[in-house]
Amino acid sequence: MQLISLQVLDLQALDLQALWLTLRLALSTTALLLLLALPLAWWIASGRGLGRVLVQAMVALPLVLPPTVLGYYLLVAMGPLTAPGRLLMRVFGHPLAFSFTGLLIGSAIYSLPFAVQPLVAGFGGVDASYLEAAAGLGASPWRTFRSVVLPLTRSSLLTSAVLAFTHTVGEFGVVLMLGGNIPGAKRTLSISLYDQVQDFNYGAANRTALVLLGMSLVALAAIYLLPGLQKTNGRQADVVR
Amino acid sequence: MSAKTQTGKLLEVTMAHRVGALSLRVEFALTQPWTVLFGPSGSGKTTVLRAIAGFVRPDTGRIVYGPQERTLVNTAEGVFVPTHKRPVRSAAQAARLFPQMTVKENVAYGMGWGSHPADERQVLVEVMELMRLTTLAERRPKELSGGEQQRAAVARAVAAAVAFDGVGDRVDKAMLLLDEPFAGLDGRLRDELAVGLRDWLARWQVPVLSVSHDVGECYLLGAEVVRMADGQVMEQGPVETVLESERARLLARLHAHD
Repeated sequence: MQLISLQVLDLQALDLQALWLTLRLALSTTALLLLLALPLAWWIASGRGLGRVLVQAMVALPLVLPPTVLGYYLLVAMGPLTAPGRLLMRVFGHPLAFSFTGLLIGSAIYSLPFAVQPLVAGFGGVDASYLEAAAGLGASPWRTFRSVVLPLTRSSLLTSAVLAFTHTVGEFGVVLMLGGNIPGAKRTLSISLYDQVQDFNYGAANRTALVLLGMSLVALAAIYLLPGLQKTNGRQADVVR
Repeated sequence: MSAKTQTGKLLEVTMAHRVGALSLRVEFALTQPWTVLFGPSGSGKTTVLRAIAGFVRPDTGRIVYGPQERTLVNTAEGVFVPTHKRPVRSAAQAARLFPQMTVKENVAYGMGWGSHPADERQVLVEVMELMRLTTLAERRPKELSGGEQQRAAVARAVAAAVAFDGVGDRVDKAMLLLDEPFAGLDGRLRDELAVGLRDWLARWQVPVLSVSHDVGECYLLGAEVVRMADGQVMEQGPVETVLESERARLLARLHAHD
């Protein structure tokens, strides 16, 4: 029964540096992803055409690509052996691989589809006649987006943020490739868990796994718990007409 | 200051457009404070209105807004001013109130760009009263009946049109476009609202182009009428002239039932 001892609060045994890095990385990635995903999803949702199809396919690529493949390409791209890597090195002053910025970029690319897809679905569900109503009142596209589209798609926004967060918390392959499993500095919880299992330290692994499970569960529960976030796609208002 | 040019034209529309089975080909100019596009459903009225608002891009044509002859559409020269940059405010037939806002917030949505916020507050109060919305101010759209939603939607466009003051623009008054603004309302209330709105808007010199298939409404507004059928303008003039035959036909039918 030692396997399921629930000493989660025994923080001494938990890799606190890994927990801190994981949280910092997941929160930064979520913030960065929302900044990227909002305009991108809006652009994808608001039209047709080959360009949009291609972009959507590229955004979805991390869904099917083995994370280690993505991590490998990013490692090469960020490393000193390629022209883009050297350019990035000059911009940031240090090699991006094995740095927090490198991890952040990798995580953002890896979790991009999880941030973009809910938003595309949400934006696509907004009745176009609301956009016309706003434009007919003189609202610019940007004002329409802020004052009409975003309030109608709050639930999609939350889903997008939570998925980006949880997906980043759980990622392994990209971080392993880009972070290099440098103890303390660039080791996240999921990699710490892997190391603990490799060391046959099942007690520690158990706690790490539980923390990861708890984080995911709490984040997902937020989607279902927060009131008033369900079915707000603006369809209920005009039932009468 | 009047919105008319020296030629007296508020708006000139020349357009050809094909939608589904309808082949639209219209040419008319507006000169009166309130003009009604009149005709049976499917005659192309709404499409014309949507082209002026900027929601429909005509296949060919030219739309020029009277004051300072501002070109909104000129397909020959590739001119197409986007909706929100036109000196035009519009309300579609479906209310489409923003569900997350109260009635008052909805009505005030198109205001707030003017340079006289104090005046705008007064305008908001007056519009709310005019459209009998004062007691509904804090309600959400889903708590309103269909007729109430429609009144709020019309009020929203009216407020936006009056508040328009052409900041950064050469145009001083916006034109108001209303698609079947009174269609869902009962007789007496409709009459009061229509007359009240006409008089109030005349005070602000906001020109109106509305769409209707209701003869009574045209007489009530004392409006200029552009009669459309099958995508063409059949006749244009004062309501008494243009709709006399229509009125006679309706009266005859009424008497036949006696």
